[in-house]
Amino acid sequence: MAATSMAAALAASLPAPQAAPTPSAPTYEAIPASMAKVIDIEAEIPITSVQLDAMVVSKIIKHAKEAPGSSAHGLLLGLDLDGTLEVSNSFPLPHHSNDEDDKSVKSVARYQGSMLRSLKEVQADDSVVGFYQGMTLGSFFNQTLVDTQAIHQEKLRHGGIVIVHDISQTARGNASFRAFRLTRAFLDAYKKSNFSTTSLIDHRLTFSTILEEVPLKIRTNALVSSFLGTLSEASVPPAAQTNPALATSSAAIPPSFAGLNLGTANTPRNLELVVEALDNYKTEEGNLAYLQRQIAREKAKADAYVQKRKEENASRVAAGLAPLPEEDVSRLFKIPPEPSRLESLLLLGRIDAYGKSLEETASTGLVKMYAAKGNTGN
Amino acid sequence: MPLGPPSSAIYLQNVAPGFTSTPGRTPTSVTVHPVALFSILDHYLRRNDAQDRVIGTLLGTRSENGEVEVRSAFAVLHSETAEQVAVDMEYHRTMYELHHKVNPKEVIVGWYSTGSNLNTYSALIQNFYSQETAPHQAIHLAVNTGIEKGQQAGVKAFVGSPVGVNPKPENCVFVPIPCELRFSDAERSGLDLLTSSPATPGSATFTNPASDLELLERSLQQVSDMLDRVLAYVQSVLSGEVKGDAAVGRYLMDALGPSTEDLERGEFNSHLQDTLMVSYLANLVRSQAEVSSRLALVKAS
Repeated sequence: MAATSMAAALAASLPAPQAAPTPSAPTYEAIPASMAKVIDIEAEIPITSVQLDAMVVSKIIKHAKEAPGSSAHGLLLGLDLDGTLEVSNSFPLPHHSNDEDDKSVKSVARYQGSMLRSLKEVQADDSVVGFYQGMTLGSFFNQTLVDTQAIHQEKLRHGGIVIVHDISQTARGNASFRAFRLTRAFLDAYKKSNFSTTSLIDHRLTFSTILEEVPLKIRTNALVSSFLGTLSEASVPPAAQTNPALATSSAAIPPSFAGLNLGTANTPRNLELVVEALDNYKTEEGNLAYLQRQIAREKAKADAYVQKRKEENASRVAAGLAPLPEEDVSRLFKIPPEPSRLESLLLLGRIDAYGKSLEETASTGLVKMYAAKGNTGN
Repeated sequence: MPLGPPSSAIYLQNVAPGFTSTPGRTPTSVTVHPVALFSILDHYLRRNDAQDRVIGTLLGTRSENGEVEVRSAFAVLHSETAEQVAVDMEYHRTMYELHHKVNPKEVIVGWYSTGSNLNTYSALIQNFYSQETAPHQAIHLAVNTGIEKGQQAGVKAFVGSPVGVNPKPENCVFVPIPCELRFSDAERSGLDLLTSSPATPGSATFTNPASDLELLERSLQQVSDMLDRVLAYVQSVLSGEVKGDAAVGRYLMDALGPSTEDLERGEFNSHLQDTLMVSYLANLVRSQAEVSSRLALVKAS
C-alpha cells in the first residue's frame, strides 16, 4: 500500500513530457508534507534507533557460530524509515585471510554484486545499510572495524551502522546485539588522518567517544511470531490445575534455564586477554614516548641553532658586518611528525571492553552462588 | 522437538521388482535449523501477489545413518500456471555457488514449498531436484504457514518414490518422514530473545535485548514459581487432600534431597572470594583505562 502511494507521489513530482520543439523548463513539485517522512531522498531524518528482523538475528548467530575463529562478518540490508533503520536481511561475506591481495578484494566485490542482484530478483531489499561483525568477549575495537566503517560512511546514507554480536555471551544464554556508528568528532579527526595529541584534545576523543551506541530492538513479524507461538505454547490439560502431578509440558520449545549455570569457563580466557591487551598497550605507550623524546630532541637542536644564529647576527651587527641570513631551520633539521595515537586509543577501548565482560560474569556469578547457597538452607 | 504428528508411513519400503533404488541411504529423518525456517517464512511474506506458493532450495549436510540436517535455505524464482511450471535453474545455480563460497560444507539436500498441496508440479520439481542431489534422494519440505483456515502451521518432510506401472517423472508418491526442529545453545538463546515478550497473535512484536542480570532475574523468578507449585503439591499430599504419586515423590527426593553442606562449606568460600576478586579487578582495570585516556587529553603546559 505504501509502495503505490509513494510511486504516485514520485510520478506527480516528475516533469510532464513536452512534445513542443522547444522544451520548456521542467516543473518540479515539492513532495507533499504528508509524504515527507516516507520519501526521504536526501537522508535528512537522522537515525535514532535500529530495528533488526528476527531472520537477521538467527542468520548472524548461525554464521558467527560456524565461522572459524571470530572472523564472522557480513553485510546488512534494509531501509531506513522515519528515523528507524530497519534491517530486513543480511548475508555473510566469505572469509578472506589476506587483505592485501588485490584478487581477493575483487572477488569479494563480485560476490557482493551477484548476491545483491539475486536478492533483488526475489523482491528482497537490496540496499546495503551497514555491516555486522561477530566477536568474542568484547574485543571489537580494532583497526579493520574503524576502517570499514569510515569507508562506508561515504557510500551509505547516514553512514553505516555496525552491529556487533558477542558469541561468548550468546553461548552463555544471553543473545547480545549492539548497534554502533562513528561519532562526528571521530569522523572529523579521521578525515584529516591526524591523531596527534593536539588533535585529540581538540576533538575530546577518548576511546568511549569513537563509537556511539544506537538503541536496538528486535522485530518478529506476525507470521513468524504466530509460527513460533504454535511451536512453543505449552498445552496444559485442564486437570492439571488441581493436581500438579498430571501436568505435563508438551511444548516444542521448552523454556531453557541455561542461564542458571555457573558459567566460569570463560573467565581465565578473559583474564588472559586483558593481560595481553595491557601488554600491547604498554609497548605502544613505550613507542609513543620514544618518538616524543626524539621530537623533543630535534626541536631542541633546531632551537639551539636558531639561537646561535641570532647571537652571531647580533655580534656581527655590533661589529659592523652584514648579518648572515637566517637559514630555514626546517631544511637542516628534520623534525619527525607527531605520532598517531589511534592505536593506543583502540587498545584502551579493548581493555575497557574486556573489563566490562569480566564484570558482568562476576556479578551474575555472585548472584547464582548465593542462590545455590540458599538451597542448603543456611 | 517433532514438528508434526508421527506417521507410520515411514515403514513403507518399496521392494517392487523393477524398482531401481538409488545408491546411498534413503533419508530417514530430517532436522531443521531455525534459520532455514525463518528464511522460508520471510520469502513467503515477500512473494508477488500473483504467486500462491513459493519454492526454494534447501542446503545442509547429510550424515551416515540417513539423517539429513537442513541448515539454511534460499528462494528460487519460479512461475506456476495451469499448464506448466518453470523453475529458474540459472538463478538456483548462482545462489548455490555464492552460498558454497561462504560455507563449503553445505550441499543441496532438497527443496521446500509453502502450502501443503502435493500435485504433479511438485512431482516434476522433485524430479529436478533429485537430479541435482544425485546420487542421494531429495527431501521435500512442505511448510504450512497456517494462514489459510483449517490448516495448522507446521512443517512436514517427504521423500519421493516412484509409483505406477511405468515410472514416469510426473508420478511419484511422497512418503512422509519424521522431521524435527533442532538448535544449538547459541541459537537457543537467540530464540529466547525472540520469544521473550508475549506474542499477541496477528501482530508484530518488539523485544529489546536485555542485560545478563535481567535474564537471570527472569529465570530465577520462573524457578521460584515452579518451587511454589511443588510446595503447594507437597503440602496438599501431606495434609491428605491428594493422594501422592510415588513416582513424583521419589523424583522430588532425588532432586531436592541430598544436602550439599559439606561440599559447599569448603569450596564455596574460596569460590566466593575468587568471584569478588575478579569483580574488583575488572573495576580497577576499567577505571585505569578511563584515567589513562583522560590523561592523554591533558595538555602539557
